[in-house]
Amino acid sequence: MKVIDSHTHFPGTSFGAHPRSGDEIREEFESAGLCGAWIMTTDGLRGEPARNNDLLAEGIKDHLDFFVPFCTVWPNEETDATLSELERSVRDLGMRGLKLHPWLQAFSLTHPAVLPILKKAGELGLPVLFHDGTPPYCTPLQIAAAAEKVPETTIILGHSGINDLYKDAILACHRHRNIHLCLCSQKAGCIQEFIRQCPAERLLFGTDAGFGDNLIKPAITGYLDLGVSDEILNKIFYENAKALLP
Amino acid sequence: MRTNVIDSAVRLPAKDGRIEVDDWFALAERWGISHTVASPPDEFVAVYNDEGNALMADLVEQYPNRLSGLAVANPWYGKKAVDSLKKAFERGLCGLYLHPPRQGFQLAESVLDPLIEVCMEYDKAIYAHTGTPICAMPFQLAELARRFGEATFVMGHMGWSDFAGYDAIPAAQQSPNILLDTSYTTTGLVKGAIDAIGVDRVLFGTGYPQSRPGPEFEKLKPLNLPDDIFNKYANENARRVWRIKT
Repeated sequence: MKVIDSHTHFPGTSFGAHPRSGDEIREEFESAGLCGAWIMTTDGLRGEPARNNDLLAEGIKDHLDFFVPFCTVWPNEETDATLSELERSVRDLGMRGLKLHPWLQAFSLTHPAVLPILKKAGELGLPVLFHDGTPPYCTPLQIAAAAEKVPETTIILGHSGINDLYKDAILACHRHRNIHLCLCSQKAGCIQEFIRQCPAERLLFGTDAGFGDNLIKPAITGYLDLGVSDEILNKIFYENAKALLP
Repeated sequence: MRTNVIDSAVRLPAKDGRIEVDDWFALAERWGISHTVASPPDEFVAVYNDEGNALMADLVEQYPNRLSGLAVANPWYGKKAVDSLKKAFERGLCGLYLHPPRQGFQLAESVLDPLIEVCMEYDKAIYAHTGTPICAMPFQLAELARRFGEATFVMGHMGWSDFAGYDAIPAAQQSPNILLDTSYTTTGLVKGAIDAIGVDRVLFGTGYPQSRPGPEFEKLKPLNLPDDIFNKYANENARRVWRIKT
């Protein structure tokens, strides 16, 4: 079965990661079973978004048949500059999605710059993947409140609540058609609940690969004993990612 | 496949007012898990403590070679909780299971003290769910463990998700009477725990039913743990902590 990982990171020097080249990461991901990956910065979640957007684009430029790059911006920076960086990332770097991490980037979803950024992302056709599941800035319903105000923008909960807030992620998915759920970091018992309660078309496979070692194979293994049909698995592993970013 | 594994992190599900064990035993047998340390499911953890303890004690009597049971007692019941816990230990349960979000207290607060004193009186260890802010965080457990330096504590899921890579190991280093349960976590975190505090203080667990043996064993593969290290991690430490004789 083909597998696209909708939540990976380009390893830099932050968070104890060891930097690798685009060649090395692709080989690592392919050998673990992936046929493609949405990839986001790691170091850019700590600062210097423009520089790190450049580094990500450069790092994977020879592998655009495998990686789908996501840029980042910092909402706490001046809004016009942030929107310009978003446009530049699409126009000059070929970025196809936006990653935001309210916890690490230290902004609330109620920050006045957030909605303009989300609207601009929608205009540019970029899905926005949020880190979520972590109070005080990244709970599913905080993100859902913003998603409600930008119905034309595709919003992805990058962890679907992680552990404790997965039930809120399910509620957010039910209420807002523009919310999709990436099941990165979710365990088998919760994955079963997402599959039982949510439209299969809005579920995505993800692992945070690149952020740590050996995250892909254990995550795939977690789906295999669930008794889920191949049709549903194919949607989660592959088709839904392809539908959002062909 | 490894054999003779002891799983220290199982919460058995409820079914028709009883605790369901057959599905778990079938799965455990497939993965070489010969003995399980389990707690009762949510409703028994939060409210129906005596009923949960009785059902668990019945199962332990039925499967003495395969199952050790953790007792539950909501600390807000005061003297009733103390009496429940003593009764559960008299019936052979092997430790205390705490779930602060389900039971409504913060790990370091004094309402818990009488139950810890009972555990010390009966020489029983305490397993505490961690990873949920604001009430079940690693440094709260470390504070509790410092207050009761003679008691033994297990940090359930070692603070997974967002506390696992940051707070769990420093908290365990602060309080030498804490062991780390690695269920839910990642390859790198297991290695980090063993390297930082020594394999004698790290426990294998699957986290069933939230997680499953498949991904939990898959994540260990790249570590290639030597047999003597693996046996401590996944057998001997659990025997010591939970006083498993079989």
